[in-house]
Amino acid sequence: MMWRLIGFFLIISGTVVAQNKPLLFNVDDLPQTLMSNPGAQINFTGHIGIPLFSQIHLSAGSTGADLYDIFADDGTNINTRVQETMRSMDSRDYFSVNQQLEIFSIGWKIDRENYLSTGIYQEMDLFAYFPKGPAILANEGNSDYLNQPFDFSDVSFTGEIMTVYHLGINHKFDNRLTVGARAKLYSGIFNAESTGNTGRFTTYSTPDGRNVYNHEVVNMNVLINTSGFAPLKEEEGMTVDQATAELLSRSFFGGNVGFGLDLGLSYILDEQFILSGSVQDLGAVFQHKEVENYRYFGAYETSGIEPLFPDLDENDEAIPYWDDFEDEVDRNLRDETTNESYTTWRPIKANFAMEYGFGPAFLPCHYLSVKKVRYMNLLGMQLSGVKRPKGFVYSFTTYWDRKINDNQRFKVSYSLDDYSLTNIGLMYTRTFNKFNVHLAANNLLAFPNLAKAHSASLQLGMQLIFND
Amino acid sequence: MKFVSNFITKIIGFILIGCALCSCVKDVDLEQREDISLSPDIQIDLLIYDIDQSHFIDPSTGNSKTHISDTVRLEFLDDSYIQEDLFSVEFYFRHINTFPREIESKIRFLSDDNREQFAVNYTIKPGVDGNPVTTEQFEFIEEDRIHLVRRTIKMVVELEVQPGSGKFEGELDFASKGLFSFEF
Repeated sequence: MMWRLIGFFLIISGTVVAQNKPLLFNVDDLPQTLMSNPGAQINFTGHIGIPLFSQIHLSAGSTGADLYDIFADDGTNINTRVQETMRSMDSRDYFSVNQQLEIFSIGWKIDRENYLSTGIYQEMDLFAYFPKGPAILANEGNSDYLNQPFDFSDVSFTGEIMTVYHLGINHKFDNRLTVGARAKLYSGIFNAESTGNTGRFTTYSTPDGRNVYNHEVVNMNVLINTSGFAPLKEEEGMTVDQATAELLSRSFFGGNVGFGLDLGLSYILDEQFILSGSVQDLGAVFQHKEVENYRYFGAYETSGIEPLFPDLDENDEAIPYWDDFEDEVDRNLRDETTNESYTTWRPIKANFAMEYGFGPAFLPCHYLSVKKVRYMNLLGMQLSGVKRPKGFVYSFTTYWDRKINDNQRFKVSYSLDDYSLTNIGLMYTRTFNKFNVHLAANNLLAFPNLAKAHSASLQLGMQLIFND
Repeated sequence: MKFVSNFITKIIGFILIGCALCSCVKDVDLEQREDISLSPDIQIDLLIYDIDQSHFIDPSTGNSKTHISDTVRLEFLDDSYIQEDLFSVEFYFRHINTFPREIESKIRFLSDDNREQFAVNYTIKPGVDGNPVTTEQFEFIEEDRIHLVRRTIKMVVELEVQPGSGKFEGELDFASKGLFSFEF
């Protein structure tokens, strides 16, 4: 049974791989580890987060371009750089921004086996693939791209802001296995998404055709779903402050509701080898309030307008060629705005890690604490990622997790991901009596000049952690 | 051991604080965002026609005529992106003629009140022994004349068959396009 469970998690973790704050994964001193793996091994008996400061997380990345590519102060023309950058990117390059702010967090051991944790956090997640076709068409036009399609399927993005209410249980099954689950209630504030679009626009050179070119739009079906956007759009003259206040007013069940689940486990293979895996945000948000859907669809081709040279005298009206042309285009290339509810699946995140511990130390004895041995050093590797519209975004991290003493710990990591091959991260946590502070940052080598960084992320938090 | 612990702590503190303090954005000039513009070159087909000798017969009298014309409104020329962001236009006109006669082509661009803004006039070469002969004409409207395109809303195509002795039979195919260059 146990091996089946582990096998299930390995399969899930391996196929739905994800990246989500890898520096905080499997840090058994920190309550935040329960947010990325509810089945993590922990060695504290309670925690209370400092409201709004227990976790601040920011990460941003772009696989195709960095700030320097566009805004380099090197005397060259910025529009040339924009053009070169756009040409060098492809439609699988992406931009992402993720931000989380923990509003409230608390947890406690209810008995020797179970740790209950709950809280509220706000999350913003934006992810957009580079819409290469439409972007090149807008920036350069079709003149240099005859016979090459501009693909509408390149338009693919998701964006959401929500408040998450969660309640999790961490259960120590036996001396080897710890499992956990976290139920989540999502309160959507804003959502916009456009995925699975189809269609292309092509200007064909037609040496044997009736005109020089033939313009074709084939199989166009572009759908943009939004919720929470319509009221902002209708409020003319709304300031940023007012818009923010309007959005925040939906934080507490004012918006669209969804449900999700995190699952996780950790298993001690032998004294020193530990396996762990988790799947986060298996859930969906049901968008039905303040919904607007914008759909553009159809197919059409043209080689121009054809005058008929009719016999007209001065009193006859000219043939309305243009009006006829516009009517034909409107009949074939249509757009509509509707208010149909839709469901958005949360970007599933998954983690799988394997650790080797050495340098044993013994924990202080506590009647609620089962874990007796801890290792001063942990060498580990972690496979992680997030499910995005065009597939999984992978990241592979190796790390050295070192406990300096009872109050201090650091973790150095090296990650391979779509952004960089030189992603070195560092996490440091220190506890003063019961007051804990942690700080983690990824891609440290890029910090001296963030303009040349393809990604950066930062996590900061402070809380009270109880061990007795 | 305590020495090692303090040393590591200080190193880590130094790195994290150093990263926080030294992290900066340099070698870039964000003011350049004011200079970012889109400059697409768009190829657009304009008018086409394929006509034969029947188009030069007056349907009411059955007599032949040497002059025909038609007018097409190009409403898109009144759109804001043309009025504000059009930089230059290169028109291309092509006639393929099998008529054994020269034909005068006048392509006139008129404003809404029918004032001619500019015109492209040329002679279409006659076909040779029934074989098609191609006549091509380019007209480049550069920045200092672009206001003429902005004032235009109608395109008038006129054909005037020139006198000749042979039998007036054949076909005349017309193709036209514009290369519209914008700077948004």
